Amino acid sequence: MDEFIEFVRGGPLGPIKKWGTKWSLWPVHLVTACCGAELAHAFACGYDGERIGALNYGIARQTNLIIVEGAITRKMARVLKITWEQMPDPKFVIVMGACGLQGGIFWNGYHLVKPSDVVPVDFYIPGCPPTPEALLRGIRQLQDKIVTGEAKTSATFPEIPLEPGKKPRVLPRSPKKISKAPAVIVNVPRQVEWEFGEKLVEELKTKIEAKSITITGKNRIAVKVEKDAIPKTALKLKEMGFDHVKNVNVIDVPNEDKFIVEYHFSSYSVKELMPVLVNVFADVPRDEPKVKSLATMFPSADYLEREMHDFFGVIFEGNPWTGRKFLLAPDAPEYPLRKDFKLEEEVYTR
Amino acid sequence: MKEYAIDVPVEPPKELRSLFIPIPPEYVEDVYKSDDFLILVGPQHPGSGHMRLIVRVRGDIIQEVIPDPGYVHRSMEKLAENRLYIQNIPLVERPAIMDAANFNLGYIRAIEEALDIEVPERAKYIRTMLAELCRVGTHLYDAAILAVFLGHTTGFMWPFGLRELICEALVRVTGARFTSSFIIPGGVRRDVDESTLKWIYDMTLAMEKRLKSFERIFIKNPTVIARLKDVGVLSKEEAIKYGVVGPFLRASGVEYDVRKVEPYEVYDELAWDIPVSDEGDSYHRFLVRVNEIGQSLSIVRQCIKQMPEGRVISDQIAENGSDIRGAFYDSLSDIVLPAGEYTTLTEGARGTIIYSIISDGESNVPYRVRIVSPGWLYLRGFMESMKGERLADLQAIYGSFGYFPPEADR
Repeated sequence: MDEFIEFVRGGPLGPIKKWGTKWSLWPVHLVTACCGAELAHAFACGYDGERIGALNYGIARQTNLIIVEGAITRKMARVLKITWEQMPDPKFVIVMGACGLQGGIFWNGYHLVKPSDVVPVDFYIPGCPPTPEALLRGIRQLQDKIVTGEAKTSATFPEIPLEPGKKPRVLPRSPKKISKAPAVIVNVPRQVEWEFGEKLVEELKTKIEAKSITITGKNRIAVKVEKDAIPKTALKLKEMGFDHVKNVNVIDVPNEDKFIVEYHFSSYSVKELMPVLVNVFADVPRDEPKVKSLATMFPSADYLEREMHDFFGVIFEGNPWTGRKFLLAPDAPEYPLRKDFKLEEEVYTR
Repeated sequence: MKEYAIDVPVEPPKELRSLFIPIPPEYVEDVYKSDDFLILVGPQHPGSGHMRLIVRVRGDIIQEVIPDPGYVHRSMEKLAENRLYIQNIPLVERPAIMDAANFNLGYIRAIEEALDIEVPERAKYIRTMLAELCRVGTHLYDAAILAVFLGHTTGFMWPFGLRELICEALVRVTGARFTSSFIIPGGVRRDVDESTLKWIYDMTLAMEKRLKSFERIFIKNPTVIARLKDVGVLSKEEAIKYGVVGPFLRASGVEYDVRKVEPYEVYDELAWDIPVSDEGDSYHRFLVRVNEIGQSLSIVRQCIKQMPEGRVISDQIAENGSDIRGAFYDSLSDIVLPAGEYTTLTEGARGTIIYSIISDGESNVPYRVRIVSPGWLYLRGFMESMKGERLADLQAIYGSFGYFPPEADR
């Protein structure tokens, strides 16, 4: 068998095989991130990638090229590897976009890996996103590589000679100013002209046992409650016509040793309440972060709660998915959005 | 007919753990015992974007669909906590790059609301125009992807040909095909000249003409109607219950559009309608967006006609009112939002975008930025609409929702 492969590659049939491979590069349909939008442009009527013999195809078994379109996450890296292993030889990888090079704008994110750690990469196309022209140029370079056997960059850069430094360069300080002991107040009252809101607040005060009800802006009301009173408040709001949850949010406040759990309620069925966003929030102790889930009362809160459980480890009692990862990869760091999980800091140079 | 018991041991695959299927083994066993099948669709599938759908079917009727999102989760909320407010402007438009202006607008409006920045009229018109151009572009993109899902190649080529016009318009205004980061606190980066506006005005007319051909080729095509009509129906009550957003909510008969409900920029000064349908099936989810393209093009034309002269950057931000170049970092790098929570609702192309910025009042980086994208909000309704449909219709429903995983996972 090895002799046969040797013969096909190097024998008299070699050039024919190279020629055939060159003009039939089939990228597998592996749309990994937002650069896929430009990839679609490259193969649509404006740029027509098919004229150089490349066309996306659905199944990995019958393709020979992967175009990695942007960011590869921890979850996707496994898929990329499996797809690459399924493809027949010879196979090539082109990485598109800045995220695939060094991480791009997401370079210090907790969920990102470099494609070059997963599969051998033939060509990189920088840009965020690269234009369709750049992508087609990358495919042309790959064709040249198939014929000549060596990869060349198509871009030329001016060479800047490095001067040997005499004294150690002083790096400028980071422009970021981060407060050591931040005070996080969600319900800062604001003066706005909103007659209906004042009426609504009066109505809420009669119906809900809340610690405080404040207007935090036009169409925004913040209701502070005890953490056990969230389902009771939600039920009252549901009776008033607030029929869905728009947002579930958790804020980590380590220096006060608490999480703030927020539910944003709004309405689709009552016309006057449509623009109103009621923020029901409660403080939850950080060492025992447990709140009652609203997933059965408001199915719209279900996935949002699962996400917040992934990010912060707040346990929503009664949510069917609690204790399992939903959005994050199984090998992602635990509770990455807590403040004690630090990301790599950037270094500023001049 | 007599039934013969076949004595073949049927048991769940042993590689369950290594396959990383995010459902408990008991569930898989239950499926095997009750003569159902589990079908894993994705993450690498011939459609667009990747997420895994774990579909439980009996015969070929879908019983339940469990999503496995997060393949494009790029940790945007954590990164936003570690950057200056202005460094987040390019970051927040990355969820859906074809809808960049709308995603930018929500974040910028939250900052402006906190700092009480008055935006000049001309800048408001330019922002509205950009947002509507992006909306048209996104709807065309989704129409093309729907065509890919249905296996209709011409239906893919045609909207992408039209999208080139939108990209060209964005290049002429902002300099970038997709990720322009053109909207800044206090206005927009640069003024737009008259010839560009004239070109965009003519472009909208040309596009309307070409959309008529697209209607003949794809929208009114009997095969397309046969694939989409009465498939994946989401009733009004269900849509409200599951918190569906945007055109998919309006297709189910709820007249909710953030642009009308809580008008921002200049939407309350322009004349336009909300396309609504009562059917709630895949075809009407598509039709509502097709009708929105017409409305958006009309809004773009009205913006260009009514656009006043004047500054495009607020005098609170920079002295030069028509170009921020040279003054951007100096004037905006050190902004500190007063303490509190600032939440804005924005109507993106696919639905409501929520930005919630929490500031501690001392740092020049946000304490927490919560981004909820439309894809993430309608995911639940999307899963529910597939229940009771045939497996062969899964692609049609997937396409009709225009689900874009980078947007949903952030």
